[in-house]
Amino acid sequence: MKVVELLESRLQNWRELEQLCVQLEHHRKRTAGAPAVGRFATLYRAACADLALADAYQLPPNTVQYLHQLVGRAHNQLYLSRKFAYKRWLYELLHLVPQRLFHDNCVRLAFCLFYGVFIASMLAAWLSPAFADLVIGKEGLQQVEEMHADSVGGTDFNSAQAGTGFYLNHNATIGLRCFVFGILLGVGGIYETIFNALYLGAMFGFMITSKSGPNFFQFVTAHGPFELTAIVLGAAAGMKLGFSIIDTRGYTRTASLRRAFREAVPAAVTAVILFGLAGLIEASLSPSTAPYAVKAGVAVLCCGVLIFYFVALGYPRGGQTDAV
Amino acid sequence: MNGAIKQLDNRIEIVTPENIEFTYRVAGPFRRLGAYLLDNLLCWVFIIVICIITFLVFGVLQSFGTVALVGLVAHFFTTWFYGGVFESLWNGQTLGKRMFGLRVLSEDGQPINGIQAIGRNFLRHADTLPWAYWTFEESPIPLSTLQLGLLFMFVYGNYQRLGDWAAGTMVVLDEPQQLYGVARVTEPAVLQLATQLPVNLVVNRSLGRALSAYVQRRLRVPVARRFEMASHLGEALRERYNLPANTNYDLLLCAVYHRAFIASATEVLDEARPMEVART
Repeated sequence: MKVVELLESRLQNWRELEQLCVQLEHHRKRTAGAPAVGRFATLYRAACADLALADAYQLPPNTVQYLHQLVGRAHNQLYLSRKFAYKRWLYELLHLVPQRLFHDNCVRLAFCLFYGVFIASMLAAWLSPAFADLVIGKEGLQQVEEMHADSVGGTDFNSAQAGTGFYLNHNATIGLRCFVFGILLGVGGIYETIFNALYLGAMFGFMITSKSGPNFFQFVTAHGPFELTAIVLGAAAGMKLGFSIIDTRGYTRTASLRRAFREAVPAAVTAVILFGLAGLIEASLSPSTAPYAVKAGVAVLCCGVLIFYFVALGYPRGGQTDAV
Repeated sequence: MNGAIKQLDNRIEIVTPENIEFTYRVAGPFRRLGAYLLDNLLCWVFIIVICIITFLVFGVLQSFGTVALVGLVAHFFTTWFYGGVFESLWNGQTLGKRMFGLRVLSEDGQPINGIQAIGRNFLRHADTLPWAYWTFEESPIPLSTLQLGLLFMFVYGNYQRLGDWAAGTMVVLDEPQQLYGVARVTEPAVLQLATQLPVNLVVNRSLGRALSAYVQRRLRVPVARRFEMASHLGEALRERYNLPANTNYDLLLCAVYHRAFIASATEVLDEARPMEVART
């Protein structure tokens, strides 16, 4: 059979497959109907066979190129990305992530690094205001003082809302940047973690001695545990990525990074969820006139939730399996 | 085909579970930059629209803080989750990628999963390093220079940026292509020459590819250059088929193509006969 005859006999099938691809791209399989999906599979197999035999059929190069594109397009519809599987993600986040984090040296390192520098910076700023000046700058300290000059609940509703939006955006971004920069061989993550611990510690230390201090601690107490833990978690996940490029444990660098990636991203997502929970508290309870005891109670409750998550859920119970 | 040619061609071969091999064209940085800028623009449009809607709803209550809160939250989610969510739900495409005919796939050609989509979009922020700071009314505004991502694209294979390398993904061109069918040659001189070719003419695969590539492109090439190109193969074919020395190589290649791809020896005779009748 001459090529031109072969092409004429196949052309209709290819055009039909092309149309079905368009149909499936815009409407999902459920709405396309079983006959269309069945026909699509048949035509896809036929196009695959035509492509496999293109060389033997001596099809012209532009037709072969068209077939490559057509098979690729149909392949993308046949093997769609998996939809968001809630159950799998819940299993990943509530079972696998805490178990991994329980053993993770990067979490321990990030925890020690963040809280070590944070406490040291806080003490230094408390004992010497010059230290806070050096780290944050006079203008920055003045701004923080002014922001918390009015008692919590005393600020007008608009300012409180805008402030909450700013903190939520700013702090969650800090946490995610600790994760992202961790891939720079871990050094970027360590730098971000130390910088933020130093900055936040100096701010806390300065506010202890400031006249606006009580208002500041009224504001940060309730959402602090979730927010600070999320920063530590983000930093740890980032360090895991970066260190996996250096210490490959016998794998190639690429394979080692991808193994770490598979574990680090769910940990970063957990950090985002913690930021979200912190944001909810920050938007509702933190700027409210609720008594300090209530806010402290919520902080204790949050610490309890974190201990339950990391220790109770994370305590080793045998084999692990990948879920997502 | 060796690796150097594959790299030059920007094509990667994918083997499907059906054991069929097909190729994708990997998207380069310029195409991807267009999609990236469009996605950024759409995110800002979304933030502005949502702020206007919030303003219209809460502005009457004088609650401008709510507008700021909604705007900042929208900014956070679009910055960090726009790409991840869209690529998870839209089979590796964002709005910008869809408009520019791009798709993210795993390195083995399989669709990406949620972890890959979210992770590669988180790490995009590392690819935008280093940042240049532009001071506007004494406030430093960070501007991405995209240098790290670009550097990585050129160092690592398949134009993968840092996020792609970690996630095991790549961005390919995914746009519909036109089917032009088989090129036909209708020049009478070609049909006449085709009758002088052997009845049992068979061309091998590489010759067939060369002939069809030539015939598809010949009309876009000036006549003198066409003749020069055709002479390399034409001379050998003329000797093989014992044709006269003054044979036009361009027409000869077309005639062999016509016999191999379009018409058999008898069909060629049928095609050429009316012309001879008309000439007599």
